[in-house]
Amino acid sequence: MVIYTYGVIDSKDTIDETIFGLEGAGVYNVSYRDIGVAVSELGEKMQEITDTNVLKHEEVIETLMTKFTVLPIRFSTIFNTKEELLLIVEFYYQDFKDNLDRLRNKVEFGIKVMWPAKIIKQRIAEVYNKRKFTVSIMADSPGKTFVKEKFEKHIIEKEFEEEAVRCIAVVDDYFNKIASERKIKKLQTENLLLNAAYLVGKDKQDDFKKAFEQLKSTPSDLKFLFSGPWPCYNFITLTKKPSSADYFNAEHMLNRLLAQQGLPERVQHDHEPRYLTGMNGGF
Amino acid sequence: MDRQIKTLQDKNSYLDLQKEKRITLLEVLDRALDKGVVISGDIVISVADVDLIYLGLKVLLSSVETMERLRGSPFSGAAEEPT
Amino acid sequence: MNRIIETDSQEAFVQEMEKIQDTLPSRIDANPKNVEKGLAKLVLTLVELIRKLLEKQAMRRIEGGSLSDEEVERIGETLLKLENKMQELKEIFALKDEELNLKLGPLGDLM
Repeated sequence: MVIYTYGVIDSKDTIDETIFGLEGAGVYNVSYRDIGVAVSELGEKMQEITDTNVLKHEEVIETLMTKFTVLPIRFSTIFNTKEELLLIVEFYYQDFKDNLDRLRNKVEFGIKVMWPAKIIKQRIAEVYNKRKFTVSIMADSPGKTFVKEKFEKHIIEKEFEEEAVRCIAVVDDYFNKIASERKIKKLQTENLLLNAAYLVGKDKQDDFKKAFEQLKSTPSDLKFLFSGPWPCYNFITLTKKPSSADYFNAEHMLNRLLAQQGLPERVQHDHEPRYLTGMNGGF
Repeated sequence: MDRQIKTLQDKNSYLDLQKEKRITLLEVLDRALDKGVVISGDIVISVADVDLIYLGLKVLLSSVETMERLRGSPFSGAAEEPT
Repeated sequence: MNRIIETDSQEAFVQEMEKIQDTLPSRIDANPKNVEKGLAKLVLTLVELIRKLLEKQAMRRIEGGSLSDEEVERIGETLLKLENKMQELKEIFALKDEELNLKLGPLGDLM
């Protein structure tokens, strides 16, 4: 039996509603101080990503969002025991609190934009060919021919990326006053001009949708995909980074946790940190 | 580093999914697989990439495993080998 | 939650998004157990990275106009030979362009 996690919630109370998660198991709250993690139990560790599981994971988070502020957890984050989970929550407690406060009453929207890369590059090439080539390269040898071709490609590529930046700025202008934060991925493929996530207050959802309608109705070569509202996947920031120093704190934290649970303290050992001895695939 | 994560249902049945379902799935995957609260549970380490920035966290969890062993829990015993 | 997904070109977006998702069936490497190939892949990926960086640097210098005709010729020949050699090696190890890349997790792809 292992523990599958869905999201960090801003409540220590039991979850009233009956929510079913992966493998049909009930979702409940593992609380720590004034927050908690919504989890369910799995028979054994998960081996595969299946569409059913991923969609179920998402569904659980979205149901939780109707009642709580939720920090969605990445798919397939699993713990052996409740104690291990609590250790993690304790470690990230402040980060979780900060994110919950920042993301309360906010949702994420996704805007994806495609453009016809080949056509754009063709247009750029036409303009380039009309210009006088400032570098005089006589293509009289394989080396020089190679350079000439490469150079042309290089200039076109450069111009292409600059055009992308300009285009993205125009699109972003429709949304950046309505959204409080945004994450932008430029040219993930040459045709996928923009993959953006916007953090929008729940009260501004309609404004955001309207802005998209405006963008869509403006004539252009662009194709659009609008999705949302989503849980705020793209806007979680964890500032705490685990380091080897945490190993030495771990003993102390564990004993405290065990004491809280009414279990005997772990015996202290003097030994080299485990990570040096190649445990669990470590170096 | 290659993802150890296995495939979705086989290609044919994926292609059978209507376009709307495929795009929903792709949108969900774009978020749920990589984003959100990204922390390592113990099992995730053994089946997925080992993110270097979480090496320290692995160390943290190693000591948890020791704790389990001392308590004689069913999870004690040889560490899982990463696949 | 009333989530909506609205687009005027579903097929096009599905196509592009599949390219960036590495968990879908069409992108699965069929034979990951070939150790030699794995090593070649790693080495060639790094060589390819260096080659691309050299090319980029050369282009910048040409743009800046700081190279003589002779230097341009020499660079061109060298880069051409490098590119042809890489092509040979890729064929020998049956590696495609897309395979010569490294996933760096949160940092994206190497190239």
